[in-house]
Amino acid sequence: MKIVVCVKQVPGSNDAKIDPETKRIIREGIKAVTNPFDTYAVEEAVRIKEKIGGEVVVLTMGPPRADIVLREGISVGADKAVLLSDRAFGGSDTWATSYALARAIEKIGGVDLVICGKQAIDGDTAQVGPGIAAQLDWPQATYVMAVPEITAAGIQVKRMHEDGWDQCEIKLPAVLTVVKDINQPRIPTLKGRLAAQKIEIPTWTAADIGADPALIGLNGSPTRVVKTNPPPERSKASLKLNGTPEDSARRLVRELRLRGLV
Amino acid sequence: MQQHIDNKTYHVEILPPKQDSEKLDADLELFATKFKRVMESGYCACLTDNAMGNLAFQGPEMLEELGLEPKKDLVMIHLNTFHTKENLDGILNSCKALKIRQLLVITGDGSDRLPKLAPSDIGAEGVESVTSVELLKYIVREYPGDFELGVAFNPYEPEEHEAAKMERKLAAGAEFIITQPVIERNEIVDKLLAKYPTIPVIVEAWMSKKIDLLSEAVGYEIKTATDPFDPIATLKILHQNYRKCGIYLSLLGFKTQYDLIANTWK
Repeated sequence: MKIVVCVKQVPGSNDAKIDPETKRIIREGIKAVTNPFDTYAVEEAVRIKEKIGGEVVVLTMGPPRADIVLREGISVGADKAVLLSDRAFGGSDTWATSYALARAIEKIGGVDLVICGKQAIDGDTAQVGPGIAAQLDWPQATYVMAVPEITAAGIQVKRMHEDGWDQCEIKLPAVLTVVKDINQPRIPTLKGRLAAQKIEIPTWTAADIGADPALIGLNGSPTRVVKTNPPPERSKASLKLNGTPEDSARRLVRELRLRGLV
Repeated sequence: MQQHIDNKTYHVEILPPKQDSEKLDADLELFATKFKRVMESGYCACLTDNAMGNLAFQGPEMLEELGLEPKKDLVMIHLNTFHTKENLDGILNSCKALKIRQLLVITGDGSDRLPKLAPSDIGAEGVESVTSVELLKYIVREYPGDFELGVAFNPYEPEEHEAAKMERKLAAGAEFIITQPVIERNEIVDKLLAKYPTIPVIVEAWMSKKIDLLSEAVGYEIKTATDPFDPIATLKILHQNYRKCGIYLSLLGFKTQYDLIANTWK
């Protein structure tokens, strides 16, 4: 089973600003992280590989420094990585991005399954996964919360929706987008992290993947962002406590004590 | 653990590098340098487990990957409840392979990215979540005789609640106790010592000059007699007040403080 996982580098901070001219996020100076949903996609791919064998390739499109998210994928069990990086990709909307990723998936060759996070937390479009499926003309399942069974011929998935879930069967090759409920991503081991530091990651340009210049970048993007506003600032007084009720209660008491409120 | 007290063996806390370190090679080298120094001094190196919920590498994997050899009974691994069952057993088996016997079993601080053991993972019944008590029971049951198990005592928690928890921890198999940091003296710790005269107790000394960090860690505002806070002077007072206890040095400055502690425990 050859699985490609598409990952994206996103700002790891709520302080990201938007360029008033280009309407795009100013990424310089902001610490970048792997899109959280994509970490679940990588984990599911690695679990499938561990279960039935095969190979996991992580793929991203972005500037040269986007190799960081690929190395994170390697550190938790992916075998190979490919970086699509070329100024010609600049300004690509979700459709042009899907096109470029699809061409890269074709160049990787022999791919049985593509897994993406359900959406990126910066754009929140949830369009790239389905876009790849459309570009490749492969079947797709979105909002996947479980993969109960997978064989060389097909895959069973549970798709989350508001009233529960559907169980679907899809023939391979196919594209999945996954939600957080699907698994608990593993923490990288030191061995994995060190291996990720050393791995050589090939960088493919638009020419390398045989991309039509008219279908990538701004030229290949049927949509334009004409206005973007940041969300209203959240009150700094709020504090989100995650964990079990017991853990949350313990932390709540602690925070109240630190503020001299109890 | 009693031999550490009898031999005046300091417990020196070392934090493994964080997972998101952007200078991992340098951090690994620093960790190795600290570890070797502690081993050469004949102290006990205490390796934390995602301290304060910050994702970090595990102590045993650090030793394995860096080829660091623990001296017999001079390494203690902190082990909390924020692991998958597979990771937990992996850590315990690595400790066995490295011949590390001392474990400090704690509930620990979680984070969004850390998994949490479920009661069903370790065969715990009648509880909603796994604490150090359930983890102790699991280790005692599944790894009989392999480890010497310690637990934490927090004198800053409500006294009755903490005392009841300590009863449960000892009943679950704890053999020694390490307190939260104590500045000079703490009457709740004094009561603990009076109640359990045969259990080895290690008192934690706060070695950072930043006392506000301690307040943050324990959840209470800690006031000190000296301003600015003098950790070495306070350590000496702690020795005088707790002569029958061991000492755990948290956030020890290896550049500025390490040489100064050589003669503080006489």
